[in-house]
Amino acid sequence: MAAHTSLKSAAVALAVTMLAALPAGAETKGPVTDENGVVVVPAGEPLQIGSFLSLTGADAALGIDARRGVEIALEKIGATYKGHPVEIVYEDETCSPEGGQTAATRLASNPELVAVLGPSCSGAGRAGVPILWQHKVPVVGVGPTSPTLTAPTRGPTFDGFVRVSFNDNATGKFAADYAFKTLGAKTAATLHDGSVYGEQVVRTFEAAFKAAGGEIVASEAVGAADTDLRPVLTRIGTKKPALLFAPLYVSTGAYLVRQMGEVASLKDTELLATDPILAPAFLTAAGKAAIGVKVVGIDFRPETLGPAYQGFVETYKSKFGEPPISSFHAYGYDALGLLLAAVDKAAVEKDGTLYIGKKALNDALHATAGYDGLTGKLSCSALGDCASPVYAVWEFTSEQPDSYALGTNPKRVDK
Amino acid sequence: MTPGASPVTRSSGEIPDRAAAAGGNHGAGMDVGKAAALHIALADWRRRSTWVDMVMLALRVSLLVLVSAGLLLSLAHNEYSAADWLSFAVFGLTLGSIYALISLGYTMVYGVLRMINFAHGDVFMAGAFGALIVADPLIATGSLFAVLALIAVGAATSAAIAALIERVAYRPFRHRGTLAPLICAIGVSFVLQYTVRGFFGTGSRAYHDIPVLDGVVILGPLQVPLVQLFVILAALLAMGALHLLVQHTRLGASMRAVAEDRETAALMGINADRVVTFTFLIGGVMAGTAGVLYALVFKQIHAFMGFAIGIKGFAAAVLGGIGNIPGAMVGGFVLGLAESFGPAALLSGFGIPAPYQLKDAIAYGLLVIILIFRPQGIFGERLAVKRM
Repeated sequence: MAAHTSLKSAAVALAVTMLAALPAGAETKGPVTDENGVVVVPAGEPLQIGSFLSLTGADAALGIDARRGVEIALEKIGATYKGHPVEIVYEDETCSPEGGQTAATRLASNPELVAVLGPSCSGAGRAGVPILWQHKVPVVGVGPTSPTLTAPTRGPTFDGFVRVSFNDNATGKFAADYAFKTLGAKTAATLHDGSVYGEQVVRTFEAAFKAAGGEIVASEAVGAADTDLRPVLTRIGTKKPALLFAPLYVSTGAYLVRQMGEVASLKDTELLATDPILAPAFLTAAGKAAIGVKVVGIDFRPETLGPAYQGFVETYKSKFGEPPISSFHAYGYDALGLLLAAVDKAAVEKDGTLYIGKKALNDALHATAGYDGLTGKLSCSALGDCASPVYAVWEFTSEQPDSYALGTNPKRVDK
Repeated sequence: MTPGASPVTRSSGEIPDRAAAAGGNHGAGMDVGKAAALHIALADWRRRSTWVDMVMLALRVSLLVLVSAGLLLSLAHNEYSAADWLSFAVFGLTLGSIYALISLGYTMVYGVLRMINFAHGDVFMAGAFGALIVADPLIATGSLFAVLALIAVGAATSAAIAALIERVAYRPFRHRGTLAPLICAIGVSFVLQYTVRGFFGTGSRAYHDIPVLDGVVILGPLQVPLVQLFVILAALLAMGALHLLVQHTRLGASMRAVAEDRETAALMGINADRVVTFTFLIGGVMAGTAGVLYALVFKQIHAFMGFAIGIKGFAAAVLGGIGNIPGAMVGGFVLGLAESFGPAALLSGFGIPAPYQLKDAIAYGLLVIILIFRPQGIFGERLAVKRM
């Protein structure tokens, strides 16, 4: 069996190499001809789907939560698709460009992958998606929110990317409106950690805040692994901003809220953070300093998302013994569902064998319209944005990680 | 190991020669003599210097110009108040005292064994995690003694681990005279990281808030968090104790003797193995203390934090002159201050946006600059005979 599989994969690898040598030529296998190549899943063989998520490190909660969503979606279909067992191959992208590159390279080396779910983080996506698209493997993003990934300028290397997670163009704009109109801040400072996600959301926030009539008095950055933010906070403090907008990940975010209290010149400055820190791990890391921190994030409460989501959360709790650990579980669930819906459209079945044209699958993904997901109706744009997010502002009310529950801790404060 | 402790080993290099060359002209009138002496010295330098010296001189001059231009421009910008500059100093000293404690372990081991213990950063990390086990009940008691006990637990954990590493991983290679101990140190570093990861997971763990250290001390225009003063003070006390130990005890004397010349020390009846174990033990105590102090300031710790901080500690040791104890202390503080002052004092003058992203570049840039001016480090000795 093993020998058979490796022979077969060697044959497919050879085919892929030949294909790469002749980029213009279309490939025909069985009844399907596709200019990007055809994935063949013989009868009884597994349908293989790759996945790269942030599974270790400080931001492991993002990826583990999404993986649990994928697992629940998989369980719902009995882990089979049209008689083929569905196999998901997970890789760890460590929420970094290097991790994304490694994970994508590993996944790309498997020519039988139909598509890839992931990544969790934008930096990993920017590095990983082009590697997978070299092999014409489409990617369904479950966590990356950076606008560049679906911007008109994203370039052909991102042609194979759609995402069920939201686009930070909307995040930055929502945050700026909230800061300017609801909080009444006329001056703002921004701080990011050099990550693709942080930098992009800061740029959209700045543009929207200025457009609303506010003034950006400081625009600062730190390194992703920095622990001592007090010098940069002192620098920001010299400008006396009314608001500090800081889209940071868990670890740096916790340093920020703890150390902000130690910088006297910032005591009248309000902090506005973003959704990566909506996780119990942030409460552990930040302690009492977390109380009162305002966070822009998606409204993921069961009462907003409807009965399907309520059932999902119950399944999640009984399967994993705890409530959702970040806000990416539903994206994981939707990503697999959306992918299989596209496979339905693109795949041709003949004598129990599935023939999936790679271009056909990617086109089907991009043509998704009105897919009924947990996170709402998903319709993908030509550039790959599929989500229809409902934003909200949250505020932490307790530093106990056990008490984390969207709705009470943090509670919604913008309505 | 201490500056000036061994004058015989100092280089009898250029300076006396130049003095002799200049001294030949003493008979002439004062001014003329001085000018001529200068002229001759200059001619002499030009005759003896190679193109490498010229390049180094150009490099040094341009660096000086660059650094002073940055400083002056930043001061001209006048963005920061005096209180801000003082705050930067306090941040720098806090971080610097932690670097200094770590760098002591590197420098002492180097002094005694001529080996760089790359696992030392992970010994530091292990101390922070060792104390984490008892942190919750101790912090709950709410007394300052509990914090001291926490430091003691961290120090004991690191000391035990450091001594164990020395016995198991370094001693068998000590007389091989190859790169084996260095490679071994890197291996030990991984072992420590992944052991802690196994016990505590990959995510960050956090120390709880410590009420006794909460609060702010008001010093004139400056508000300094109590915890920072505590950390600086505790680090200074630990370094003071170490200094007394090395300079005024029998064990310290044997340590210095082994550092000077291991074989001769052994001939004098000093048990070198015991001294080496002792060196690792006190290096571990310093690292463990640093680990807990770091956790008190920054609260979050994770299994892989030892690497980056360890490299900083090593850089501090090199900055001060590796093998030199006061040098390591000074190097740590210089590095800490460079990180907190550097971006504000140098980069903002050039109008570089978001200068704090380049904090590490400044710190390591400073290392390069200092080594260009003083290849042996701030307190480093020039040795006539290279000791191996």
